[in-house]
Amino acid sequence: MRAYLARAVGRELRAGKALFLLSVAGVALGVGAVLSIQILNGSALGAFAGTVRAVSGDADLSVLGWTGALDEALFPEVLAVRGVAAARPLWRADAVVEGRPGASLELVGADLLGAARGPSALPPAALEGALGTPGWVAVTPAWAEEMGWREGDRIDVSLGSRRARLVVGARVDFQAAAPLASRRLALMDIGQAQGLLGTRGRIHQIDVRAAPGVAPGALAERLSAALGERARVATPEQRTVEAGGLLSAFRLNLTALSLVSVLVGGFLVYASVRASLARRREELGMLRAVGATRAQVLGLVLGEAALLGILGTAAGVPLGWLAAQANVGAVSGTVRNLYLLEGIDRVALTPALVALGAATGLAGALAGALWPALDAARADPRALLASIAVEEGAGARAGRLLAAGLAALAAGLAVYALAGERLAAAGFAPAVGILVAVPLATPALLRGMGRAGLPHRLGIAYGLRSLGGRLSASAPAAGALAVAVAMLAGVTVMVGSFRDTVERWLDATLRADVYVTTPSWRRARSEATLAPEVLATLRAYPGARSVDVLRQHTGYTADGRRVQVSGVDAAVPGADGRVALVAGDAGEAMRALRERGAVLVSEPLARKAGLAPGGALALRGREGPVRFPVAGVYRDYGAEGGAVLMDLEAYARAFGPGAPSNAALTLAPGDDPERAVAALRAALPGAALQIRSNRTLRGEVLAIFEQTFAVTRLLEAMGLVIAAAGVTLSLLVLARDRRAELALYRALGASRGQLFRVFLGRGLAVGGAGLVLGLAGGGALAVVLVRAVNPAFFGWTLGISVPLRALALEALAILAAAAAASLYPALAASRTPAQELSRDAL
Amino acid sequence: MAPVLTLREVTRTFAGAGGVPLPVLRGVSAELPAGRAVAITGRSGSGKSTLLHLAAGIDAPTSGEVLLLGRSLGALPDAERTRARRDHVGLVFQFFHLLPHLSVEDNVLVPALVAGDPPGPAAARARDLLERVGLAGRARDAVQKLSGGEMQRVALCRALLRRPKLLLADEPTGNLDEANGQKVMDLLLALAREEGSAVLYVTHSRELAALADATWTLHAGRLEQGG
Repeated sequence: MRAYLARAVGRELRAGKALFLLSVAGVALGVGAVLSIQILNGSALGAFAGTVRAVSGDADLSVLGWTGALDEALFPEVLAVRGVAAARPLWRADAVVEGRPGASLELVGADLLGAARGPSALPPAALEGALGTPGWVAVTPAWAEEMGWREGDRIDVSLGSRRARLVVGARVDFQAAAPLASRRLALMDIGQAQGLLGTRGRIHQIDVRAAPGVAPGALAERLSAALGERARVATPEQRTVEAGGLLSAFRLNLTALSLVSVLVGGFLVYASVRASLARRREELGMLRAVGATRAQVLGLVLGEAALLGILGTAAGVPLGWLAAQANVGAVSGTVRNLYLLEGIDRVALTPALVALGAATGLAGALAGALWPALDAARADPRALLASIAVEEGAGARAGRLLAAGLAALAAGLAVYALAGERLAAAGFAPAVGILVAVPLATPALLRGMGRAGLPHRLGIAYGLRSLGGRLSASAPAAGALAVAVAMLAGVTVMVGSFRDTVERWLDATLRADVYVTTPSWRRARSEATLAPEVLATLRAYPGARSVDVLRQHTGYTADGRRVQVSGVDAAVPGADGRVALVAGDAGEAMRALRERGAVLVSEPLARKAGLAPGGALALRGREGPVRFPVAGVYRDYGAEGGAVLMDLEAYARAFGPGAPSNAALTLAPGDDPERAVAALRAALPGAALQIRSNRTLRGEVLAIFEQTFAVTRLLEAMGLVIAAAGVTLSLLVLARDRRAELALYRALGASRGQLFRVFLGRGLAVGGAGLVLGLAGGGALAVVLVRAVNPAFFGWTLGISVPLRALALEALAILAAAAAASLYPALAASRTPAQELSRDAL
Repeated sequence: MAPVLTLREVTRTFAGAGGVPLPVLRGVSAELPAGRAVAITGRSGSGKSTLLHLAAGIDAPTSGEVLLLGRSLGALPDAERTRARRDHVGLVFQFFHLLPHLSVEDNVLVPALVAGDPPGPAAARARDLLERVGLAGRARDAVQKLSGGEMQRVALCRALLRRPKLLLADEPTGNLDEANGQKVMDLLLALAREEGSAVLYVTHSRELAALADATWTLHAGRLEQGG
């Protein structure tokens, strides 16, 4: 049977190269979509873990601050703990490279003298310069090459509003031990780093090596006991797991979206295998008649599908790699800017990922082929040889499939109704129900279209109508397209709703006229502060009616949840307009912040931690947990993990004194914000600042928003390309298998143009059916994404708004794609000569 | 009055195995006047169907000329030849070739659909033809529900819908039992006479060939005309 399989595959390939290649392309795109997302997901975590390894080397434990920084005085205490073989204080911050947009250095200040070995060990020749040259910094060769730096070059950097000049002293390959580590890593002397850019006495991390024979776990307990509430102790693995947790919802959603491409690709395989089997019923019947077992027939069909899967994987793996490369920037930007983790410099295709790609391709191809294969294997030889009309069966099944689709939808809704409150993943159940119901409803819709009145000409309308009688070829293609369109429309409405919500949120909360921060703030947060003279200049600006300031750090709740903690001046005029509360009076809430030291919690935090006004939230403070009354829940779309807002005085009491990192000026009525921006820039020439008008800031926020969804759009596009390939495939199947019908039309006097138009009509019918069901499914999917998935995974509430223009453009593009996809089959069909009229029944 | 179909020294050669020329028709000449019925007989492979295809303009002769209503089909571009077939030729096939996704009446209407005829008169004509072949009550039925004889009657209605000057039938009874074959053939010739169409039909049956006004016998690619 194996020899027969080889010959059968060869014959199929020769008979329908285009069909086979389209099926391979479908699998390849599905594999590519899944693999690219997994490469990016893996690389995002790899970048974090790699950077941890590059910075901390073989340290067993790291002592980290609960509120961002640590008091240097903790260092001797750490050293004194029994079982600590060595400890290494580190100062860390992301500094921005001046004059190079988007360029930064992830500075690590370390005790270079004490680092005889490990990641901070420098060649002896470099060590002298490192200690003797002010601003000496070692950079990675990769980053030096990209930035065009040579040893001895001077680099101007800023952290907060402070500027400093560094000198490229050496090029050290920190990535040697961890290739995925950030190439922006840069090493300098800790004393110099604190003096030039930081604060004396403040460090960020103490790496600890356990003495021989001391278990890291036991040492961690001892350290925690010794340091109490002032610091936390974590292994490198725990830190990586924490980073994975922060990214989990983002990764899960991209993975789910990429799986839709596999589903669509599976439909293509299904359509192709079904067409191949319909053509080869007699061959299979003959094989069964001469003694081939059902298992052998099943093996024959699945063997062909496996070959398809293997070839699709072979093409899909490089495709996934390329797609991942193309999207590194967008995903890295999101990971850096929204999750404050390491950006992705390099993507890694590991053997495990290749195996995943192969498994996806094979599983998708085999799953797509399974049903038709079982169908063929179950049929007895007589039925196969009798050439029972496949279309009759397909027509009869349409009603049953519709019922099954509705049942799947009902089941998804039932799962959500029963478990939605307790289990976040239950939000996906109705989405899965919709994505199952949409393709299953396709045959019924096409059959309905086939019942429309007979048009008056043989042309596009006839093509539209006649598809109802060609369900076995057309329904899988229309179903695949419907799934892709549902996903596209659903995500478009979801993103549109999100954008609309964010815009309204910005309208409600961005009330000041001019916003002042520093280029490094986005990543460095509490380290990127505004110098007192900057604040003084802002306050002295003649047009300023009020100056609002903000301090922020990445902190932790008492139960270990990572949150953004912000302090604002609740007494500033108009402070109640700074937040949009989910419910309640903002003025009242601000008064509670000012007078009772209460906090506002963001909606995601309230949802995830079960907080509500009247309750209390414990945050890790400088000296231990601090309890705050919760005065309200506010809308926030910037921190998925959650955010807390309090008055600056309460902030200082809990987290210590410090300078603000942001300021917002409200100008006197009639003052031009752009003129104020120019004036402030002129007044503060020496400070590294970003001074932006309300309008500019809004634009930047929305640009980041768009960047976050860049990968989503790529995945949608891949799904649609697969679906368009499905349209071509189904029409090629029709053109090939219905040659007798086409020849009949030609014999009856139909012109080539008429046959061309019939096929164009069929393409449009597939496109139209996919569009109608896809839009209906997409609408439902959008409701699920907005009302169930987003609140469950991200925690924010969105209003639904339908971006009609975007949807209309997408609909036009889909119909155009369907028409374009039908051109080649239409051309092939139009060339059918009348003498092809065979002696077989139509 | 010009003959409906004229064949002048028509030869048709196909490429056989290994590219060896395989002559199927050799210098065939004949005329089919309007309103006449001619049966083509001959052994399998003698070129009967090829002759029918040439007459319909579906195939082109290797040499010689096929004239439909005085116009040489070979001289016409494909689009013109197709139009000539659409407007003047009706075709009946051994295997009926009805479209399974269309009803009985809609199958009859396909030529009107191809030609873009006004739907009202075409539908009336289709109903009239179905009435005449005794299938008026089955007009809305699916064609799969019909017997073989009924299917061929529908195919006959389809062929006559646009009042062709030439009705070509390739073994129209070849897939039917004797009784049904006889009925269909009687109907075909009667309707053609009523419509004034010339008929050229291929048959293996002497009895059915005897129903025609004349017989053309193909033997080794050459045509012998009989009374």
